[in-house]
Amino acid sequence: MTRRWWIPDVGYSRLPIQVFLPLDKITHIGSGVASKSPATLTPTPKEHIMDSEQLLAEIREANLTYLMLAQNLIRKDRAEALFRLGLTEEAADLLGMLSTAQLLKIASSNMLLCRFRVDDDLVWNLLTSHNVKKVDNATTTQLHASILMAGKFAESMAAH
Amino acid sequence: MAVGKSILNESRDIERAVSLIQLGARLQVLEYETSLSYERLLRLYKEVAGKSPSKGQLPFSTDWFLTWQPNIHASLFLNIHEYLSKTSELEEIDTVIKAFRLYNDQMTASSIEPILSITRAWRLVKFVDNGMLTLTKCNCCGGHFVTEPYENRHFVCGLCQPPARAGKGAASGGLRLH
Repeated sequence: MTRRWWIPDVGYSRLPIQVFLPLDKITHIGSGVASKSPATLTPTPKEHIMDSEQLLAEIREANLTYLMLAQNLIRKDRAEALFRLGLTEEAADLLGMLSTAQLLKIASSNMLLCRFRVDDDLVWNLLTSHNVKKVDNATTTQLHASILMAGKFAESMAAH
Repeated sequence: MAVGKSILNESRDIERAVSLIQLGARLQVLEYETSLSYERLLRLYKEVAGKSPSKGQLPFSTDWFLTWQPNIHASLFLNIHEYLSKTSELEEIDTVIKAFRLYNDQMTASSIEPILSITRAWRLVKFVDNGMLTLTKCNCCGGHFVTEPYENRHFVCGLCQPPARAGKGAASGGLRLH
């Protein structure tokens, strides 16, 4: 009997939908689903492990990418690499000599190996175009930041 | 550059000359920096660039480096040059070539027209060596900028305190303030 109502018949097709799916029922079903979903989304301990494992894998990957890039740069052109990477000569020589096995071993750490290069509020503000007074063109402020960074590192190198 | 006749030196000179020509250097730069004869350089130039070198004097004035936009480009180049010469022991001309390449990379990355040519860059380094220009620390941002040697202690750079007409030129590809 009910089955016959579902047949897309011209005469009956509209009526069963209205009967079977009234508005309050839809909201009821909807709220039912909504109340269930947070329960399934709360992280169980197992998912916690998966999460941190994935983060560690990402750190390892970033480390490996960084080390390989650094090594490539150093082997291709040492002087240029020193500028691009902002490393000391000793560190660059060391990195250039590492074997692939050593590289892999160093990369599999729970710490990131590359460090943030900008340690100056002013450069940071210029790079993000925050807090600039007279010039707010992105390209021009970026150029300003580049001048400051190149100069800063030349200064710190001279101190070594 | 008087190192005597050596095939190894000559091959290094040719290599240098080729990189300089590819970067667009004028013939005078090549003559100064290599021990190759004028005739050989001329032939090399035609072979690499596919045309005769441009004639005439090199830009000789220090003023160009002190106008607003060129000053920013020149300062960036010279800061890179300083960095390289402090960290690596390269021959002077190789430092200029590498610094210029790095400067060019930065221009491409920021999609700005590189208004500093290799000839100008080389000239700038010569000016600094001879004490006609120098790097002065800006009192506002602490960056080092190309200035005349007798700039006073209260120097503020063109980016911290842009001059009135700065960045308003009609030329496309130039630096803008806003």
